[in-house]
Amino acid sequence: MTTKKENAKRLGIYLLIVFLFISLPFIFRSLINESNTAYFIIYYLFSFSPAIASLITRAVTGEGYRDMKLHLNLRGNFRWYLLAFGLPLICFTAAFILPVVFSGHTEWLGGFTFRNVLSCIFTLAALSAVQSIGLLGEELGWRGYMNQKMEPLFGTAGTCLLGGIVWSLWHLPMDMAVYNDGEGALPDLLMMCGGRMVMLTCFGTFLLWLTKKTDSIFPAVIGHYMFNESQRTLADLLWQGNIPENAASDAVAGVSDFLPMIIIAAVFIALLLRDSKKAAEPSFIRNRP
Amino acid sequence: MTGLVYKEWKQNRLFILSMILCGTAPLLALLLMRGALPDTGDTPLRIGGLITGFLAAGALQMLVLRGDDRRQWSYWITATPDGYKGFLRVKYEMVFAMIVLLLFSLQFTDMLYCAVAADTEKTEIAQISGAAVLLGFVQILFRAIDIPFFYRFGSKKGSFIKLICVVAFVIFLVALILLNADHLNNIIDTGREIFTGYNSSLILSAGLVVCTALYYLSYRITCKLYLKGAEQYDH
Repeated sequence: MTTKKENAKRLGIYLLIVFLFISLPFIFRSLINESNTAYFIIYYLFSFSPAIASLITRAVTGEGYRDMKLHLNLRGNFRWYLLAFGLPLICFTAAFILPVVFSGHTEWLGGFTFRNVLSCIFTLAALSAVQSIGLLGEELGWRGYMNQKMEPLFGTAGTCLLGGIVWSLWHLPMDMAVYNDGEGALPDLLMMCGGRMVMLTCFGTFLLWLTKKTDSIFPAVIGHYMFNESQRTLADLLWQGNIPENAASDAVAGVSDFLPMIIIAAVFIALLLRDSKKAAEPSFIRNRP
Repeated sequence: MTGLVYKEWKQNRLFILSMILCGTAPLLALLLMRGALPDTGDTPLRIGGLITGFLAAGALQMLVLRGDDRRQWSYWITATPDGYKGFLRVKYEMVFAMIVLLLFSLQFTDMLYCAVAADTEKTEIAQISGAAVLLGFVQILFRAIDIPFFYRFGSKKGSFIKLICVVAFVIFLVALILLNADHLNNIIDTGREIFTGYNSSLILSAGLVVCTALYYLSYRITCKLYLKGAEQYDH
């Protein structure tokens, strides 16, 4: 049995290593600006940093490499894999399409033909099976290690909240890169970071639930891939439509961007809390018919 | 199940890790063949390396099945709690993971090459990752065909029967074309109509899903045939 103190120590070491990696793009900023090769190598190192940090922490603390949740566990869990694939797609479809529909600009949805949509779904389905592996670099750290250490210390709700904040802070160098290039103003940067924090905290709840339900990080890997790629695909489809250049940006972006994600977070935090409560009950009550 | 995964890793880790090396084949082809073929552009050399890498990877993927076509092993694994279905599941997952690792390595090498080429101000920079993804799905399809033959007939007999089936299929196709020689133009026109630019993305994406679905179907077929095959293994 691991004590809270041990968990806190392991989590501390893990977060320290992760934040050391975060500093890499800042330390090598001038090198990154000068060389594509340096940018590529540092970017890859950075994107795998949560997994590298978890492996280093496991080695340093001597806890070993058990419970990394690297089994696929497909048997009996295929529906959760499907959920990992479908839910981000549905969520972002709502976030992208509803504002356009409510603003009365349905003519902008010209790219959303049956053939295009079906083709995109097929492509995403096939590629999520073979191309999502790069996201193992993140999920092995966040869901495979950090959340496990956080939950005994901060509870389920605390893990969702703090885990989401850490996850979004990790993305800071990417946001800062835009700002450092002089392409964005500070208020824009703060808006972007804030928006990302809300989105990732909400979505992290779903990924945590998936990982606990299946005892594997692979559904979270697929969910994460779909989180990234469905936004890109939907944006492509949207821009295939007849959107005028002077289109009001508030019609395609706004509060409704976050609403589906907030609903997902509310549903899955409720499920997580229910499961935690069930797990805390004595077994004779839990198994009562 | 963990035991089976551990056994496969211990037994085949060199083959699994060799996928990373196969992924660097386009870069190796460029470095090794540049002197021999000075007039050839970088992209054709890299595509040659890509195809060579895929062929080598395909052969290595089949090598992880080596030694499984033994009767005693089949009986023993059937008697374990995971059973032969668990064993086959791990095999299929491992071969799939090898293809994914190969693709990842290919894409990494490709992007690294493009980054270095951009730094050295090369004018000929073309990503070949798109072709690699398509070849990856072709490889999934080939493994979906290879593995059931291997477990049903054993290594040697399986390869021979598969060859006969492929030759028979090719003869059937040629015969079909020759018998319909008068309507060949109509067939080609129909094919062109189906594969228009408008349809091609849908057909291509559906094809990718079909390849993945066939791989799962192949697992189910192998499960059905495995015990029958085990009875006929030579030793």
